Amino acid sequence: MSLQKDVWWAVARSEEVTSDKPLSVDIGDQPIVLWRDNHGIARALEDRCPHRRAPLSLGCIRDNGLIQCGYHGWSYDGETGRLKEIPNMKDQQKFPPVYKATAFAVSEQAGFVRVCLDPKAEAPASASPHYKYSGTANVSLRHQEYLDALYDDPSLLIAIRAVHFTPYLMSELHEQGGRLVMERSCQWKTPHWPAHFVAEFPLTLLTSTDPVSGETELTLRDDQAKELLHAVLAPVPAARGVTAVRWRAELGERHAGIRGALLRGSNPLSVLSSIDGTKLRTTKPTVSLHGEDLRAELRGATHDSSQPPVDRTVAA
Amino acid sequence: MLEVADRPLQTDESPTTRASTPISLNAINRWVPHDIVMRDSWFPVAHNYSVTGKPVRRAIYSHPIFLWREDGVVVASEFHPNERIARDKSVYTDVKGHYPTMEHYGVVWVWFGNPQAADPVHLPSLPFLPPKGGLPKHMTATVRFESSAPISLENLIDLTHADFLHADVVGDERSDSETVETFYDSETVTMVRTLVNKSVAPVMKFFSGIRQPTQNVRQVIRIYLRSHCAIAYGQFNPGDDVPLFHPCTPETRDRTRMEMVMNTSNAGLMFRHVMPKAGYKVSRQDSYMTSPQSPRYMRHTDRKDLHSKFDQAGQRYRMAMMELAERQEKGDFAYRDNVSADCSDIIGLRKELFQF
Repeated sequence: MSLQKDVWWAVARSEEVTSDKPLSVDIGDQPIVLWRDNHGIARALEDRCPHRRAPLSLGCIRDNGLIQCGYHGWSYDGETGRLKEIPNMKDQQKFPPVYKATAFAVSEQAGFVRVCLDPKAEAPASASPHYKYSGTANVSLRHQEYLDALYDDPSLLIAIRAVHFTPYLMSELHEQGGRLVMERSCQWKTPHWPAHFVAEFPLTLLTSTDPVSGETELTLRDDQAKELLHAVLAPVPAARGVTAVRWRAELGERHAGIRGALLRGSNPLSVLSSIDGTKLRTTKPTVSLHGEDLRAELRGATHDSSQPPVDRTVAA
Repeated sequence: MLEVADRPLQTDESPTTRASTPISLNAINRWVPHDIVMRDSWFPVAHNYSVTGKPVRRAIYSHPIFLWREDGVVVASEFHPNERIARDKSVYTDVKGHYPTMEHYGVVWVWFGNPQAADPVHLPSLPFLPPKGGLPKHMTATVRFESSAPISLENLIDLTHADFLHADVVGDERSDSETVETFYDSETVTMVRTLVNKSVAPVMKFFSGIRQPTQNVRQVIRIYLRSHCAIAYGQFNPGDDVPLFHPCTPETRDRTRMEMVMNTSNAGLMFRHVMPKAGYKVSRQDSYMTSPQSPRYMRHTDRKDLHSKFDQAGQRYRMAMMELAERQEKGDFAYRDNVSADCSDIIGLRKELFQF
């Protein structure tokens, strides 16, 4: 798939990127290897050794912070991608500038490691705090389909402890500050009248989506406008039409009573890896019907349409 | 005629200096081995003990081959004897759908190409194997690779990966000196790597009882381009002479079968039995890299592979394969060099150890 080159994608949670073992991720068809160098800085290179095209993620991280290909031991610097060492070359370790792996820009904020395919891109400003709960799910849905499902019925993709999503919206999907925003009515899961008999809903789920990356902030509020849960869902288009979702969440204010206590149990948010195909197929597109158009409109307004060149031999 | 590969291969931009060679270095560094299909060649498809009265299935470039014996003689057919034939016979077999076949070196060979051109004179020379076979089964193994045959052979001729990927079997890269020489003709590429005071291979330390910290090593890789067969001959001092028949038969364009034979007859009892089994471990280590590597060579890319001085033999192998493939593409299937001539001197075989 073609992707905008200037987007910062949250391809990993901070704790997933270590100096012990390289991490293989991808943005669309572009394989990327992540690791931390000896200064603790997250680095990203194309997951392809330019020598014999082996995935660098099958190699190791050396004590000096270089990543070493597992095939012939060529070692690369994470910041520039430059080749630094070939085993057996002894004192002849000087290489022409063309001897380098493709390096990508990396930014680490709020517990996410973000990568931009444009190595010269400026790191985004982020005010998001570092949330305590986190996870990763790989979902067999394309990126746009993932967002469509999130808009049409979030229960296809996520579960909030003790909370039931209703099909009723308090605010349709609209543009607000350059983001796609909507608000859905929710109920507590404990015994209650079916949604259509209920006059007042005790909860709402506010979602605010970046139109380009699809990164979505979720806020669960009660009827007293208390913010009970905050979460960030970062879907990234990955190989073979999979969407890799990294997420972080944090509990907010306490809602009084047993229902509030249930929400505060362990893991208030779950992001599902497997999708109920039957439920997905029979979920009628509602919000997403104009959501895709709105997203395309906002995306067009904020980004040009230049596409990065993708080497199909790497995607294999 | 055997030539020495003395052309510098240090930079990407160096133009080829061999007047008769139309293949540029740029092309070599962007080669697509998946597209290379060789024909008019003998391919080793089975150990002779694997072929009995009951048909076994093999393939060359996805063309089916069924092997069985009739009155002790091997039959190689593109149809199973019980098959309800619903497809046309290929051009690679005779009127009965049989491939030319022969048994030699304890291996069943099938001729893939024009059946009229099949000739034992085109069988690769493997002077360390008894012509009539008969080595014990424990010196043989069958290994499969999920990669194209040229990728597997490039892996073999590139010995620097061995010090790194197979260090736990063959020892690490430490040595006092290392020289690599490459020889080639139109049908073969041969590399000789000489190492002085190299770390002793762990497998020899444990199973040959070598106590010294280092050993001198001479490693020879000789590849028969057309049949995708190779000889890997290691001479270790102190240590043993270990010649290996390392065929990479392209059952499909990206799946490779290796009916390997390692003649460890002259080694000690333990080493003799254990070393051939190391092939299973080494091949898994190779597959760990070549399996994800191979699909990245299935399509053309504008990006060139980088290389070091250690890749000279591999570069030569790529060039020789591309030259031969190009010749075959133009309809020229003639052998310009004799592959069956005894190569003992070329590989430096200590003949006294391998008398048959």
